[in-house]
Amino acid sequence: MLDMILSQAVNGLVLGFLYVLIAIGLSIIFGMLGIVNFAHGAFFAVGAYLAYALGKEFGWWAALAAPLLTGAIGVVVEMVLIRHLYGKEPLLGLILTFALALLAEAVLRLIFGGAPVPFSAPKFLAGFVEYGPILITKYRMFVLVTTVLVLVLFWAFLAYTPYGRIIRAGSRDPEMVGLLGINLPIVFTGVFSIGCLLAGLGGLLAAPLWTITPSMAAGAIMPAFVIVTIGGLGSFEGAIVAGLLVGLTTAMTIQFQPEWSGAAMYILMAAILLVRPRGLFGERWERFE
Amino acid sequence: MTEPTKTCAATTLHIGRRGLLLGATSLAASRLGMPYVGNAAAAEPIKIGMIWAKTGSIVDQAEYLAQGGMLALEQRNNTLLGRPAEIVWLDEPNPQGAQQSAERLVGEQKVVGMVGGALSSFALAISSVAKKAKIPYVAANAATGDLTGKSCNKYTFRLQPPVDVHARILAPYCASIGKKWYLLTASYAFGQDIKRAFTDYITANGGTVVGADEVPVGTPDYSSFILKIRAAKPDVVIGGIAASDLTTFLKQWNELGMKGKIPFAEISVGNTDLWGVGPEAADGLYTITWWYKNPNNSPEEQAMAAAYEKRHNRPAADKAWMGWLGMKSLLDSIEMAKSTEPGAIVQALEAWKYRRGDMDVGYRDFDHQMTSRLLVAGIHPKISDKWDYFDVRAELPKTPDEIAKAFGSSADSACKMDTL
Repeated sequence: MLDMILSQAVNGLVLGFLYVLIAIGLSIIFGMLGIVNFAHGAFFAVGAYLAYALGKEFGWWAALAAPLLTGAIGVVVEMVLIRHLYGKEPLLGLILTFALALLAEAVLRLIFGGAPVPFSAPKFLAGFVEYGPILITKYRMFVLVTTVLVLVLFWAFLAYTPYGRIIRAGSRDPEMVGLLGINLPIVFTGVFSIGCLLAGLGGLLAAPLWTITPSMAAGAIMPAFVIVTIGGLGSFEGAIVAGLLVGLTTAMTIQFQPEWSGAAMYILMAAILLVRPRGLFGERWERFE
Repeated sequence: MTEPTKTCAATTLHIGRRGLLLGATSLAASRLGMPYVGNAAAAEPIKIGMIWAKTGSIVDQAEYLAQGGMLALEQRNNTLLGRPAEIVWLDEPNPQGAQQSAERLVGEQKVVGMVGGALSSFALAISSVAKKAKIPYVAANAATGDLTGKSCNKYTFRLQPPVDVHARILAPYCASIGKKWYLLTASYAFGQDIKRAFTDYITANGGTVVGADEVPVGTPDYSSFILKIRAAKPDVVIGGIAASDLTTFLKQWNELGMKGKIPFAEISVGNTDLWGVGPEAADGLYTITWWYKNPNNSPEEQAMAAAYEKRHNRPAADKAWMGWLGMKSLLDSIEMAKSTEPGAIVQALEAWKYRRGDMDVGYRDFDHQMTSRLLVAGIHPKISDKWDYFDVRAELPKTPDEIAKAFGSSADSACKMDTL
């Protein structure tokens, strides 16, 4: 039994990293822009479909462009729709991004049909490795390494570059940053685009594992919201810790009480919010009080 | 919130001023010297309700089910009893949503019959509305035994063979592979029926269930379940997960290196479930209700398959056929009844027969279950056609007596049929 618990724990952590990748963009967009992006799952689905379309036409390597294209779509969406929501009633953002999510699903259905489309990992990532009772597929290891790399790079970008400082300052006090002569709208467009790019990357990496259908956003958006809520809205570190906690909890519930596996992350969220209503790393932000 | 409805008979016409004048003049001329025989009822289109998912985990199959239903009416030039007819299609996001859609179709749209219920839980919800409102309802996809068992009613008819029938056909194949089974089933009526039916079979035949997990609908990651299966070392894994959940499972089953190591079997799968898996990961032994390449398909089915492919530029999936036949049985019955009166349509549905291969299929009087053959299919070892995954091994049961035995008699049935 100990072997099985160890095996499930490792698997849960690997699954958690995929969840982190999906959730981190949502967390960034809320933390920096104050927008609760219900369409985040839609960008995840768009990333998966772009990977499918590019991979089908030009081969697997072309699919790597899917996150960049998703980020580019994010630029257009931010400039046309999202930027009108800054500083407005939060409910407007919820309604608009919810409508955007429905629209994106309908457009994907129109273009690709409702039936699932196939997409496989490249051959060199097929297979798995075993260390005693632990089994990890090469593809999931690739997802883990990619996620860690992306998180480290993004953290370094925020912490050590002038652009990162502007973003962090803008997220706390946009008026002051604007008064310093910084073109904040362009910064916000960039932030939204990065959030969408990360969602697209999540879609690309999940495509060989999940079913690619227009409704696949639903499977991504709920864990993402749970992770962001557990971690604390807008918290980078919080999303990472919460993602790993959710992965671990889900895997352990499957081992011992499988029929509860769908509800496990919600119970975890409820328990944490009872103790820490702002989430594990949530802070009091004047902007949102 | 008002949901948009879709009518397949409705078309948008752009008529210019001259066209309008010409049309009006022609219409007036045609009326000259003729008595007016129409009335308000004749001008009204006959409405048929269709409830297939537009959102949720079963939406992939529902698209084909809906297209099949639309095709059945189009093949009649969108007319019934000499009057225009149209389909009103509403969503079924969950069982409550399915029930509300059925109530809206009956109360607001005044439909004369309904087809739908992509998942068993949805079909049971619609069936309860059909019973209460006394409106004929054909459940074309749901497989739970309750629908034509303990929850049967005079107004509900079911096309898909119930889980027990699928299980009676597939279980002997699985037992021939090995007697240690692991069950991975969805945590709702369909999955629970599969769990019960296969557990009963293997325990009655000297085998054991080495593990059984119920999986929530919409589970995005099966790796932890697969690790449990791997540790249990069963001879066969019996699946009971539907639509895109099955697709996801098979992709991850392959990813974790299980394809070809432990055989996987499941009843009542759809073409679309496998098309989404891809040739590299597709695996398993299945029962299916219909296959577009089956040489035993009737001429009418072949015509339907050709019309579908011409319209949608892809082969007709089994779900398209189910949507088509479910709708066709209802439309045929309205014509047979020469009426839109619910009681007359129900009696016509009970008498309705359809030729498939060497036998007539129809709905049985005592439980309103359609009896027909099933196909047992594996997956081609090498898939060269992106639509052609199934390697059909048998069409069972073979004789009418065996079919009657597989579906069970009225004495075996839990259905206590009510009256009109």
